[in-house]
Amino acid sequence: MDGRDLILTNVTKRFGGLVAVDDLSLHVRPGQIYGLIGPNGAGKTTAFNCITGIHACEEGSITWGGEEIRLLPPHKIVQRGIVRTFQTIRLFSQMSVAENVMSGRHIKSMQKWWHGIIHTPASKRDEKDNWRAVFDILEFFDLEKYAAYIVGALPYGIQRRVEMARAMAIDPTLLILDEPAAGLNDNETLALIETIYRIRERGITVLLIEHDMDLVMEVTEYLTVINFGKKIAQGTPEEIQKNPAVIEAYLGSEDDDF
Amino acid sequence: MMKKLQQLGYPLFFIVMALLPVGLNDRWLAIATTFIIFTIVALSQDVVLGKAGMFNMGQALFFGMGAYTSAILNAHFGWPLLATLPVAILIPSIFGILLAGPIIHLRGDYLLVATIGFNIVFVQVLENNLGGLTGGPNGIFGLQMLTIPGLAFLQNFTPYYIALIALLLTLLIFRNLETSKAGRALHYLREDDLAAGSIGINTRVYKIFSFGLGAGIAGMAGTVYANQYSAVSPEAFNFIQSVLFFTIVLVGGSSVPGIILGVFVMFILPEIFREFATWRYFIFGFAMIFAMILRPRGLWPAKFGRIPKAFLEKG
Repeated sequence: MDGRDLILTNVTKRFGGLVAVDDLSLHVRPGQIYGLIGPNGAGKTTAFNCITGIHACEEGSITWGGEEIRLLPPHKIVQRGIVRTFQTIRLFSQMSVAENVMSGRHIKSMQKWWHGIIHTPASKRDEKDNWRAVFDILEFFDLEKYAAYIVGALPYGIQRRVEMARAMAIDPTLLILDEPAAGLNDNETLALIETIYRIRERGITVLLIEHDMDLVMEVTEYLTVINFGKKIAQGTPEEIQKNPAVIEAYLGSEDDDF
Repeated sequence: MMKKLQQLGYPLFFIVMALLPVGLNDRWLAIATTFIIFTIVALSQDVVLGKAGMFNMGQALFFGMGAYTSAILNAHFGWPLLATLPVAILIPSIFGILLAGPIIHLRGDYLLVATIGFNIVFVQVLENNLGGLTGGPNGIFGLQMLTIPGLAFLQNFTPYYIALIALLLTLLIFRNLETSKAGRALHYLREDDLAAGSIGINTRVYKIFSFGLGAGIAGMAGTVYANQYSAVSPEAFNFIQSVLFFTIVLVGGSSVPGIILGVFVMFILPEIFREFATWRYFIFGFAMIFAMILRPRGLWPAKFGRIPKAFLEKG
């Protein structure tokens, strides 16, 4: 475990007049399973997009192990060990499962651009090493039998697993999961919980957005709840369940009923 | 059975191509040589359009730049054609990188228009006899062709076999590209640009890489072309040529057999049906339309799932 903290301080992201993330601060500690929850449209995914460099964030600061990463492009964020999955699965759908996972080895591979034109013994060795790593990860996710299948034709639950496998192929320090249980059935969700624990055992910090409250309450150690882009509560799952502001956000305030 | 055929495909293709000149008269030998050269250019177009998925409709520019580089160095500075080859690869490559830099972030259709613009500017520059070097609308002629020492009596066949060697080189590069990090990166960014960035691929660098590599291969084809005709002229590299290369990759599909098929359909069939002169483009126009409707990913689409066998058997 290389103890790096992800700290968001007063992060704000506007789209024109809309404030999608409003003055958000949170602190993810190494080795944690950290949850970010909130009702639909609360700005959770936007917050993730700010961390992973997909949106440039105008205000506030995002530091990773002390380094400011707020304005870095996505590929540079990945190089620093922060890797994400997407709420709507984004795989390379015409390619095979193994090739998809191989894409995660991209930044680990030692090959230079000119190895695309001429192979050397070193590049051939590197190629072999990376394929071996891919098959280790496929084994970890129990995906070996699908290795040669075109990923776009596989069931949804398996595609989710492939996307996580691809992220894990990068050897992340912090894994960001955007609604990993969306569209999964109960059995698949149970398997997912198991997988998240196994990922954490490898010393990887997990930050996740999730709608499935049972899953969140079960796996996370610490939670931040946001609504309309603003943080409304934080604490352990037990504390959050009792928090009146959270109950109001999820169930609507009592005044609305009349 | 199919697998065996695929394994034998390349050797068989090259054996047939190597023996082909024996049975051809001069006219058909010239057509066969052009066929090979256009295959190389179409493959170079495939690096950008098929693999990286960028709408580049200016590939004739780099083809022409290679041809003119060779022609100028040969005609004005007396370099032998073979010596001009490295320069004819390098200059289009550098231009490919420089031109791609500012436009690479453009979305599909915008990129397409920008590359058309480059192509048109390039032909204008050639026609206006830049620095007295490009020879204006007539181009440059009377180049010294490559000769193979001791085989002067086979001079007729030399351009053909030189083209074939160039094709072999291109296919070797293609094979290496497919089994390398750089080649896969191109596929990833075609499939999903954002996802590619989110797994750490510097999409900008690899897009520029594909332009540079495509331009270099096209430049090599340019030298071979200048050697075949011992002349170059602007109209061989205009926008319509770019459209044809673009169409070949779309109609054929982004695979080597698909592209060979595409070049055959677009260049050889018109020669075979010469008698129907005015009708042939009418028919090909419709053939293109139906190919796109019936096989939107091309006649012979790219296949994925190339995983080293050793790992598959284990799993």
